[in-house]
Amino acid sequence: MAQDDIAASGIVGTSRRDLGGRPWHRWRRTIALGVVLVGLVGIVLAALAREALLPRSALTVAVPPNPFAPPRPALTQAEEAYARGLWKIHDDVKLSAVRMTFAGLAYKTGEIDRTTLKARVDAARDVYARAEIRARELEPPQSLRRVHADYLAAIRLYRQSAVEMAKLAADGREQHLLAAYPLSETASKKLLEVGDALWPGEYVPN
Amino acid sequence: MNKVVRSVLLFALLALMVSTGLPSTPAQSADMQYSVWLIESSRFMGVPAGAFMPDRAFVPGSSNKMNNKPFFDLPVNIGVIKGGRDIVLYDTGWKQQDYHKMTGTQHWAPIAQQLAQLGIKPEDVTKLVIGHGHWDHAGQLMDFPNAVLYVQKAELEGIEWALNYPNPHIRAVNTDPGGCARTPACGYPPLTLQEIYGKVLSGKAVIVDGDMEIAPGLIIHPAFRAHTAGSQLLEVHTAIGPLVFGSDSYSSWEGIRDWMIANPQQTDTVQQFLAYEKCYKITGGYEHCVAAHEPLSYSEGYPLTRNSWVGPNGSRAAEIVLAPGERSRKP
Repeated sequence: MAQDDIAASGIVGTSRRDLGGRPWHRWRRTIALGVVLVGLVGIVLAALAREALLPRSALTVAVPPNPFAPPRPALTQAEEAYARGLWKIHDDVKLSAVRMTFAGLAYKTGEIDRTTLKARVDAARDVYARAEIRARELEPPQSLRRVHADYLAAIRLYRQSAVEMAKLAADGREQHLLAAYPLSETASKKLLEVGDALWPGEYVPN
Repeated sequence: MNKVVRSVLLFALLALMVSTGLPSTPAQSADMQYSVWLIESSRFMGVPAGAFMPDRAFVPGSSNKMNNKPFFDLPVNIGVIKGGRDIVLYDTGWKQQDYHKMTGTQHWAPIAQQLAQLGIKPEDVTKLVIGHGHWDHAGQLMDFPNAVLYVQKAELEGIEWALNYPNPHIRAVNTDPGGCARTPACGYPPLTLQEIYGKVLSGKAVIVDGDMEIAPGLIIHPAFRAHTAGSQLLEVHTAIGPLVFGSDSYSSWEGIRDWMIANPQQTDTVQQFLAYEKCYKITGGYEHCVAAHEPLSYSEGYPLTRNSWVGPNGSRAAEIVLAPGERSRKP
């Protein structure tokens, strides 16, 4: 076919235009967009199907559990409820214990005077008093009676320590801090022992 | 008159010579050489790799050696430094608790037993330098009745800041679920802080503010926020050149070598890298940086610590360097 005939038949023109008269390059763009969209939908569907078909363990266990941690008998429902209840109290007790320690430190390093020391120690003592009331409201199962008693003893020791530290405000004698120290030290040891029984993950390697 | 002036000038010159000729601190530091050992207080077993080094997180099925280990076993290392009249511990490990046994910790033995293999009694220890105040590095302080504690002021300030922060998540000492992890007041149980306070109370603590030479050739350098607010390094002069102990600012020796962060707790990663750089600058490389939790400790993989043996309860110990005249403690 001669070039003129081709031009006359309109083939050249038709090959570059859509049936509605739209330019061919616009069709090409639409088709490409469609292919991309179909591809994306396909990928999403394939991913969903894979998620649905994979066994749950493969999805949830990326790292196997620590092989060195010996199995620990599960707490009973009552023990767990007690541990959960005490944990909230423990939060306040621990925070006050370290704040009280820092009050002593700040006094010894000359950052605060004895009036401020007393204010901080009294605040801690109030927390201990409230914590003791809350702890007494818990009903430990028989298996955790000793733990419960230890925790109450720890709170009482912290309170006694606070009372002793606060005496410094009256007479300025640092002997009170020395007398208070073993009380709160023993209390802190008891907290760790209770943690042994109730919260084995309380501290992680760091 | 000339004679008087000459005498005065001569006296001044002599005084100047004497004063400049006196052994200054740097000269003493250069002369002093310490013996150094490393002992393993305990070993955390099965710590998830990604929790220790994010860049080495376990990728199931990966053949890349950086990502194909699910766990690390991490020693808790204590530096023992002896020279002159001093026996110094860098970090003090921790005391075993039942719950630590439950989490699979191994090799723990009483610190007195571990020091006995070096012929040292707890009462012989003169100085305790803690790289930071976390429980596994600053435990057992009161087991050393005669030792003076060195702790950075910024470490104490950092804890106190966190404790008084209004947001309960940031001041948390207990975090749900599963206890403390990386919040700024975590890692400091009441007993650990109590023992630091005990040292202050008994007049056996030095609150360090920045750099301090605590003995000739023993220099504390701050590494603020390289692990915690007041982390500190200890430069130790020895016959093989200076060593730098880094506690958890240098948790992983491979991390120092490969410039990867490790054990990010309250860490500013830039500061951790700067702490690494400090070791490169002081020692001329990474070989003499002493890491607290390097899994390769006591093996050929960490050459500084390869001269090792097995001590009480399977704990490891290594003889790093001996001062002239010091006898070996290796069995």
